[in-house]
Amino acid sequence: MSNSKISPVTGHYVSVDVDGLEYKVFYLENGTGQPILCQHTAGCHNHQWRGLLEDEEITANYRVIAYDLPRHGKSDPPENTEWWKEEYQLSAEHYSNFIIALADALELENPIFMGSSFGGNVALQLALRRPDRFAGVLSVEGADYSPGFYLDWWQHPHANAAQVCASGTWDLMAPQSPEADRWKTWFYYTQGSEAFKGDLHFYSVDHDLRGRLGEIDGEKCPVVMMTGEYDYLTTPEDSERTANAITNGSFIYMPAIGHFPMSENHAVFRTYLIQALELLQAKREKPAAALA
Amino acid sequence: MSAPTRAPSAEEWAAAFTDASNTDPEIQAHGKYFTCSYLLDATERTYVIQVESGKVTHVTVDPGPLDVPYQFAIRASAETWRGFGEETPAAMFHGIWAASFQRDMKLEGDVLVLMQNLRCITRQVELLRVVGSPV
Repeated sequence: MSNSKISPVTGHYVSVDVDGLEYKVFYLENGTGQPILCQHTAGCHNHQWRGLLEDEEITANYRVIAYDLPRHGKSDPPENTEWWKEEYQLSAEHYSNFIIALADALELENPIFMGSSFGGNVALQLALRRPDRFAGVLSVEGADYSPGFYLDWWQHPHANAAQVCASGTWDLMAPQSPEADRWKTWFYYTQGSEAFKGDLHFYSVDHDLRGRLGEIDGEKCPVVMMTGEYDYLTTPEDSERTANAITNGSFIYMPAIGHFPMSENHAVFRTYLIQALELLQAKREKPAAALA
Repeated sequence: MSAPTRAPSAEEWAAAFTDASNTDPEIQAHGKYFTCSYLLDATERTYVIQVESGKVTHVTVDPGPLDVPYQFAIRASAETWRGFGEETPAAMFHGIWAASFQRDMKLEGDVLVLMQNLRCITRQVELLRVVGSPV
C-alpha cells in the first residue's frame, strides 16, 4: 500500500500585462478566505513559502497565494521584449506596479500582502503607493533603506555564481533553524543567481523611503513589520525604527531566527505570523485614529 | 551551560581544526577543487591555513612577517572569534558575512579566491563551533 499523498497545494499560470510588458506568472495556492499574497526573497522562488502553503490552521482561514516574480522559479522573463539585451535592474515602480497588476489579474478582494527581505521592502512601497488596494501589509525583514548588497560578486564570471549566491546568503539564517530547511533555502539560492543582483538593485539602491515613512497611510493600510534576531542585513533595530515612523505601524521581534524565516523555520515563524495577522485584523477593526 | 571546548594551545587548535576539516563529510563531498591559502587573524594569534583539493595540508601558527604567503585574510578581534567558537553563536558571530557587516571582521586580500571557495570556507569557519575558538 502506497504512503503517497497528494498535497492540497495547486499551481497555476496567469498572464499579467504591466508597464507594457507581458508576463506569464506562476503561483501556488491553498486555502480559503481572505487572500494573503506572498512574495519570496530576492533571487529565490515561491518554495520558500512551502510550510505556510500547507499550514492547515492558517489555510483554514486564509487563501495563501505564493507567486514567482518574473525571472524567478517558473515565471519567465517578459514574453514581448529582447530582455537578454538589457541588464536587469528592478525598480520600485515596476515591482509595485507588477504586484498590483497581479492582484488585479487574480481579482483579489481585500488582500493582505506579505513579503520578506526585498518583499518586505516592497510591502512598504505598496502601503505608500496604493493603500486602497490592500487590507494591510506584513513587512518581513524589511526597512526604509537597506544598502550594501548590490554587489558584483553575485555574477562574477570567475567565481561559481550559484555557490556565491547560496553561501553568501547562508549566514542570513539562524544556527537554531533546522539544518534541512536551511539547506533547502541554500538550494533555492543556487537557482537564481542571474536575477539576484538585479533584484538587489531594488533592495539596496532604488528602495529608499528615508524621510518618507510619514506619508504612508497606515490607517487605511496597516503595516506590521517582523524581523529575526540573526538578520545581519536588515537588523531588528532597522525594522523597529522603520515601524515606529509609520502611523499605526507595529513591530514584532523574532528571536532565534534569521532573514528567511518562512523558509528556514516555518514552525517558529508561524507563531509570529499568527500574532501579526491578529494584530493586523485588530488594527482594521479599531484604527488608531478611532481610539484617539 | 557548559563552556565550549577550547584547545589549550595554538598548536593543538591547529591540529584539531585540521582533523575536523579533513574528516568533515560536507567538505570531503564537495571540496574536490577547494584549494587556497588564507590568514586567520585573531589579533592575539594568527594562522595561515593551506588547503589542497579539500584537505588542510598545513597550518602555520603565528607566522613571521614574510614567512608564509596567503591569498586572502579573515581578520577580527579575539573577542569576535571567541563568539564564533560557541556551540550556538550569538547573532552576528554566526558567520563571516554577518560579522563583516555588523561586527569588526574584515575580509582582505584577493577576495575573489574567497568567493571561489565560499561554500567550503563557510563550512570550515562553522567547524569552530565544534573545534572551539582559535584564540
